Amino acid sequence: MTEKMSNFDENPDLEVSSKLTEDLQTLFKPLLSVPPEVDRAVQDRVNRHFARRRFTGARRRFRWVALWKVAAAAAVVIFAFSLNLTDTPKQDVRYSALAKSEAADFDRNGRVDILDAFKLARRIELASSNSADLDINGDGLVNHDDVDMVALAAVSLTPAKRGPGKGVF
Amino acid sequence: MKTITAIILTSVFVIVPVLASQSGRDELSPEPNVHFAPLHIYLDSGDRSLAAFQFELKATAGQIEIVGVEGGDHKVFSEAPYYDPAALAQDRIIIAAFNTGQDLPTGRTRIATIHLQIAGPVEPHYELNLTVAGDADGEKIPAKLTCEKGE
Repeated sequence: MTEKMSNFDENPDLEVSSKLTEDLQTLFKPLLSVPPEVDRAVQDRVNRHFARRRFTGARRRFRWVALWKVAAAAAVVIFAFSLNLTDTPKQDVRYSALAKSEAADFDRNGRVDILDAFKLARRIELASSNSADLDINGDGLVNHDDVDMVALAAVSLTPAKRGPGKGVF
Repeated sequence: MKTITAIILTSVFVIVPVLASQSGRDELSPEPNVHFAPLHIYLDSGDRSLAAFQFELKATAGQIEIVGVEGGDHKVFSEAPYYDPAALAQDRIIIAAFNTGQDLPTGRTRIATIHLQIAGPVEPHYELNLTVAGDADGEKIPAKLTCEKGE
């Protein structure tokens, strides 16, 4: 047996005295208990804090999305304006071609003028003829639309070469 | 940061064409010394009834733009006559109208009024050419075409 071991008992008493137990419990027990009101207040503040962060983030995302939508809408509007949709060059060409065609020159004076429209209107009113030759716009009907077509051809400003007569449309 | 850069670039690409097209239009914008005036067109068919007419108006001096056309005094010609919409914003127009009814005007009657935008100090002068005037039978008749500047 060494000298060190000789300083201890062979069967030491492992029982802790009650006094020591009480002292230890007193020393390490929680100093104060947290009342439930404080717990709820802390929880509320935490909830409000994180809710605000979530709302701010969502609003910021919404703002970016709205900006992109506005930019896209502006681009569409500008593109539409750049197309200049009010121009109808094809219609102008049709009227000018008709103005030089023999199909609408009913009095055979070599040009289409308002008297040709007048004579067509008179013939349609009197129902003297439903000939396909009077179907100026080629829609299968002989009516006031054909008269308008001849009248608009008469006032057309667009120059055109002499058309091939009936069937230019 | 990438988003901001993208938005800035998009804005530039959108705004530059707009400004470019706008600068082109500015050249066509009217001068400051601009006023509007109507020009009344009269046709005198004498004792013959007037059923149809067609004439051409052209500015020979001054700077004008046609901005509108309205019908005449008599009820058969009170509606807007036929004209080419391309004539608007130009200084030349062909106007025509007809009526197949029986209650037709005779003598001197206002057949149309042309609304003009006049720019600059030069008093405009007009050239009027009567293409044709017709009676109730669709036959060509002689007539005298005149115009008066309104207020």
